[in-house]
Amino acid sequence: MNIVVFIKQVPDVPNIRIDEQRMTIIREGVESIINPLDCVALQAALELREREGGRITVLSMGPPQSEEALREALAAGADKAILLTDSAFAGADTLATSHVLARAVSKLRPFPDLLLCGMQTIDSDTGHVGPQIAEELDLPQVCGVNEIHVDGDLLVLKRLSEGFLDTIRAPLPALLTVSKELCPVSDLSLGAVEAAFTQKDIIRWAAHDLGLHPDEVGLAGSATHVRKLRQPAARTGGRIVTGSPQSIVDALIRKLESMSILDEED
Amino acid sequence: MSKSFGDVWIFGDYRDYFQNRITLQLIAKGKDLAEMLNTGTTVVLLGEQVHQYAMEYVAHGANTVMVAEHPKLKEYEVETYTTLLSQWVKSYRPEIFIAGATSFGREFFPRLAKRLRTGLSADCVDLEVDPKSLLLVQTTPAFGGELLAEVVTPDRRPQMATVHPGVFRELPHNSEAVGRIIYPDVDVFPEPRVKVIRSRPPIKGKVSLEDASVVIAGGMGLRSKEQFELLYELAELLEGEVGATRPAILSGWADEERLLGQTGKSVKAKLVISIGTSGALQFTTGIQGAETVIAINRDPDAPVFRIVDLGLVADAAAVLPILIETLRRRL
Ligand SMILES: Cc1cc2nc3c(=O)[nH]c(=O)nc-3n(C[C@H](O)[C@H](O)[C@H](O)COP(=O)(O)OP(=O)(O)OC[C@H]3O[C@@H](n4cnc5c(N)ncnc54)[C@H](O)[C@@H]3O)c2cc1C
Ligand SMILES: Cc1cc2nc3c(=O)[nH]c(=O)nc-3n(C[C@H](O)[C@H](O)[C@H](O)COP(=O)(O)OP(=O)(O)OC[C@H]3O[C@@H](n4cnc5c(N)ncnc54)[C@H](O)[C@@H]3O)c2cc1C
Repeated sequence: MNIVVFIKQVPDVPNIRIDEQRMTIIREGVESIINPLDCVALQAALELREREGGRITVLSMGPPQSEEALREALAAGADKAILLTDSAFAGADTLATSHVLARAVSKLRPFPDLLLCGMQTIDSDTGHVGPQIAEELDLPQVCGVNEIHVDGDLLVLKRLSEGFLDTIRAPLPALLTVSKELCPVSDLSLGAVEAAFTQKDIIRWAAHDLGLHPDEVGLAGSATHVRKLRQPAARTGGRIVTGSPQSIVDALIRKLESMSILDEED
Repeated sequence: MSKSFGDVWIFGDYRDYFQNRITLQLIAKGKDLAEMLNTGTTVVLLGEQVHQYAMEYVAHGANTVMVAEHPKLKEYEVETYTTLLSQWVKSYRPEIFIAGATSFGREFFPRLAKRLRTGLSADCVDLEVDPKSLLLVQTTPAFGGELLAEVVTPDRRPQMATVHPGVFRELPHNSEAVGRIIYPDVDVFPEPRVKVIRSRPPIKGKVSLEDASVVIAGGMGLRSKEQFELLYELAELLEGEVGATRPAILSGWADEERLLGQTGKSVKAKLVISIGTSGALQFTTGIQGAETVIAINRDPDAPVFRIVDLGLVADAAAVLPILIETLRRRL
């Protein structure tokens, strides 16, 4: 079973800081990591390869430094890594991102049996890219999968949807997006990074290698545009009360009375 | 001189109570948007025997409900729904098309947007029509909610967005409301490739945080499961529900279904009392829809105080027993 895992390099979001003047993210000093759910997808791919055989290809679209993420994936056991990098790819929305990723997949021989994405990223967090790759490649999709069983050329999957536990049957080839319940990633071994440096090369494809015109990728090929970033508005006019626990409770009770949640005491 | 616009479309998501509520919330918002564009609000509703929902959508403000009635539409199925709705969009040309960011909405809308080669924003917390450009400004959280991004789709149509449940308020049911319910022709569909063979309903009693009028939210400042459990007593006294921050849930103090915030639920309660929560944005997005927010935190500089109507600087462990005792005596 040949598997493609899509990997996005993201900033380590809990550690980001914001430049409040320019309303941008300060990336200096913030580590870049593999999007956590993409690690889950890779771990699941490694387990499937163990059982079913086949090869794992990892694909990432991003700036040249995304290579680090692919090297980590190679170190963890992926067989082949392709970096889709071109200055024309910058500023892509999910429509343009999925276009480049889908085109890269369509160049792979043989065509993969299973395509795995994270359910969403921790930075822009749309969750669009998986379904949009599936659409472009005319593949069936299932999102948020937490169990994968392979039965010949059929998949039996489980996922939670609005509290319902769905059991789903889908044919191969298919695209799945994975949730964190699929498998623990603690055992994703990243120890052999150095070995990856020497043993496996990273393939690089630019727009022209994919037969893509600059107009259909990056900002130019995008339908959406981020007009502005801002900080969420704070509520104003709040009253802050300090004092003994009893006086705090009194202030709270008065507020509940004024809201008619409590009746006034006579 | 004025340009004329297609309708504002809303995806009729109805499989359970929660999904139906988000549809009603979107109708209310859709009407605001439609008014700015001088156009109408249409709900598209796919399924089998869904007439009752069509009536309900009209009663909650829809001008038009377009219904596709067919046994093969009974189950939510991404590819079938995408094929049918992409055909409808091409024939009727809506200006805007929005859906709730439910599991199904988030799985199906990206595929539809891609087929239509148009833009989509995810899990929006606000939607407005810009009075100058008349573009839909789609406000979506980014970087774990630290920032809000304003996304626009300048040229392609429809402008599409999924919307976080609970951020808009539904209109009251009006049984006298008038609207059109139409049944366009429905093509035959190919067999779906993906099949749901079993769907087990949630086992636990559903906690309806979204509909509670009082919500007591607890965070790490409660220090222990025993302390956290006092919140249930408080909630009972105020006829409310208990919600929790992500770390409180990770500590095992409450079940996942009580999670509030960006990755959990959003409330539209009359009152939220948030106790021992620092006020991280990922959390406060879940409680900001409340009419009144009161917070108890012992740190006067806690960010949570920036969003409250009343901030109480105090040790939760000292305040909670007195508060519960006082309420007991009063009720
Ligand atoms: C603040 C901000 C707001 C944005 N808002 C929107 C918006 O509303 N609509 C929109 O269309 N775009 C938006 N974008 C652009 C969007 O972030 C990019 O298109 C991004 O490349 C992919 O989106 P995502 O991170 O949300 O991916 P998701 O769809 O959340 O990613 C899901 C999975 O797809 C795979 N994947 C995603 N990107 C890549 C990649 N580059 N290489 C390999 N695999 C990948 C991974 O497996 C990942 O886990 C926004 C960007 C920013 C910075
Ligand atoms: C991508 C992403 C998504 C996230 N989604 C969510 C989400 O959906 N929901 C969510 O809740 N979080 C979410 N988080 C986590 C979020 O960023 C915060 O870490 C979390 O909300 C903080 O929880 P807390 O307020 O309980 O804990 P803390 O931040 O530890 O705050 C505890 C507070 O209690 C106060 N305190 C301590 N002792 C006392 C006392 N005795 N009496 C009174 N006050 C006391 C402290 O002053 C402090 O302010 C997300 C994070 C990321 C990165």
